[in-house]
Amino acid sequence: MADGAGESVSSEIGQGITIAKTGEPGAFGGELLTINFGPHHPSTHGVLRLIVDLDGEQVRRLKPVIGYLHTGIEKQAEALRWQQVVVVTDRHDYLSPPINNLAYALAVERLLGVDVPPRAEALRVIMSELTRLSSHLVWLGTSGIELGASTMLMYCFRERDTILDMNEEISGFRMHTSYIRPGGVMADATPRFLEMLDRFIAKMPSNIDEYEDLLTMNPIFRSRTIGIGRLPAEDAKVLGATGPMLRGSGVAWDLRRSMPYSGYENYDFEVATSDLCDCYGRYLVRIKEMREAVKILRQALDRLPDGPVNIDDRKVLPPPREELETSMEAVIHHFKLFTEGYTVPPGDVYVAVESGRGENGCYVVSDGTHKPRRVKFRAASFVNLQPLERMAMNHMVADMVAIIGTADAVLGDVDR
Amino acid sequence: MIVDSLIVDRGVSAGDAWITVASENARDALSALKGDGYQLLVFLTCVDHLADQSRDWPARYELLYQLRNLETREQLRVRAFVDGDPPRIDSVSDLFPPANWDERETYDMFGIVFTGHPDLTRILMPDDWVGHPLRRDYPVGGEVVEFSEEHEAWRTAPEKA
Repeated sequence: MADGAGESVSSEIGQGITIAKTGEPGAFGGELLTINFGPHHPSTHGVLRLIVDLDGEQVRRLKPVIGYLHTGIEKQAEALRWQQVVVVTDRHDYLSPPINNLAYALAVERLLGVDVPPRAEALRVIMSELTRLSSHLVWLGTSGIELGASTMLMYCFRERDTILDMNEEISGFRMHTSYIRPGGVMADATPRFLEMLDRFIAKMPSNIDEYEDLLTMNPIFRSRTIGIGRLPAEDAKVLGATGPMLRGSGVAWDLRRSMPYSGYENYDFEVATSDLCDCYGRYLVRIKEMREAVKILRQALDRLPDGPVNIDDRKVLPPPREELETSMEAVIHHFKLFTEGYTVPPGDVYVAVESGRGENGCYVVSDGTHKPRRVKFRAASFVNLQPLERMAMNHMVADMVAIIGTADAVLGDVDR
Repeated sequence: MIVDSLIVDRGVSAGDAWITVASENARDALSALKGDGYQLLVFLTCVDHLADQSRDWPARYELLYQLRNLETREQLRVRAFVDGDPPRIDSVSDLFPPANWDERETYDMFGIVFTGHPDLTRILMPDDWVGHPLRRDYPVGGEVVEFSEEHEAWRTAPEKA
């Protein structure tokens, strides 16, 4: 099935393609046929449209067409005050809101020149790793369904729901948490949250074993993923792939290790890689990453420092509620923050964090006013879609499902 | 090797190193930097400095290329300022393949024309869209809401632009 795939990288790839001309001959004596794959195909994880030139059943050319989920998030961010932008960052990569919050919060903090307290850093790591788990669980569940293992979704969503319950406990929201904010986090972790987390960490390794029992040696899953969608390490680097796409090609590049942020250098974990370079390799990387995420959670919970979770700067964060009743100054700060917000010194900064999909960065430009001049989200999914043509070349059209699935693009993140 | 004559200005912003190059030399500079080990173009984007009072900007549009050296983990931001109608700059999509979609997005959102790009079409907005939404003189909520009660566009004036 995989013959002829994964040979040499063509300079044409990613450079825009033409669609088959009428009567263009194929290798099997027939004509090339142009079809639309999506945008409403259930396996495209949203609304991704692929224009595919087929020769018989083999893919000869492929062009992704995106933009169906464009919501103008970057434009909206320019119309909001600095602290309000947090809410829109939740909504581009809608499977990993706290990680997007973190990229934005770190960028604003770098411009403001403030450092958050150690407890806030640890809580940020906890939320990031929980999000990575929940994002990988959605991926695993839906990929299972697409590749004929429909039980997977039931198992994965069982654990995902526990994570969403924890989100609700700590932030009040199940999905779009807006928990991590410039200057700290929304609120301290409740004792109940820490209990839930402790139970979850104890249980999760055996749950991951369960997923592996169902898929890792499953002959149908293996025959649909091994050797499919090869992306050699060189090509992955040249095409800018990040995250499990890059590590699944054997490149040990993880921003948590390579360019640490938020105290990740203090945690002991392995960077998951696989030399298989195919869909199965990317599956193994994500399973390993889930196990490593549990390890990080355990370390973060055991070493969770005491202390405040926000910086003590009334110009950036509002005073505690109880102070409003006794202090006139607190009322003034509160009023100023919620009517005109705060200003950020002019300058620009780029901060990249590792999301479940790769490098999710935030580039922020300040012109010294109370609203950002420009907020650019460097979306991992947007860049990770570009190697799709490379991976799908000369494969059967049915293999496209596995290839799109393991690229794990969130279309909200692609289109922003 | 990038030669100093290409660099107009250099500095550090909130810990990020950057250099400025003249827009007509941007492609040469990026090609030289690629040879210096900055193999990865992390992203490419544009900032519209219309009515920006924070300093005296050389031109309205600022193009930014964030480069990364995967071996030394160094990062460098390259700035190039462009003006004109439409603003033009040479494409780097053949040097850095990820630039292909980034340039299409920048064209779509800011109307920057990348000379030599193989397929410079809109990527996020519909093909028949008029205007470039991320320009600062493009109003928020400026699109016509089809089938709305008033059948009218809800328009807000841009901020002091």
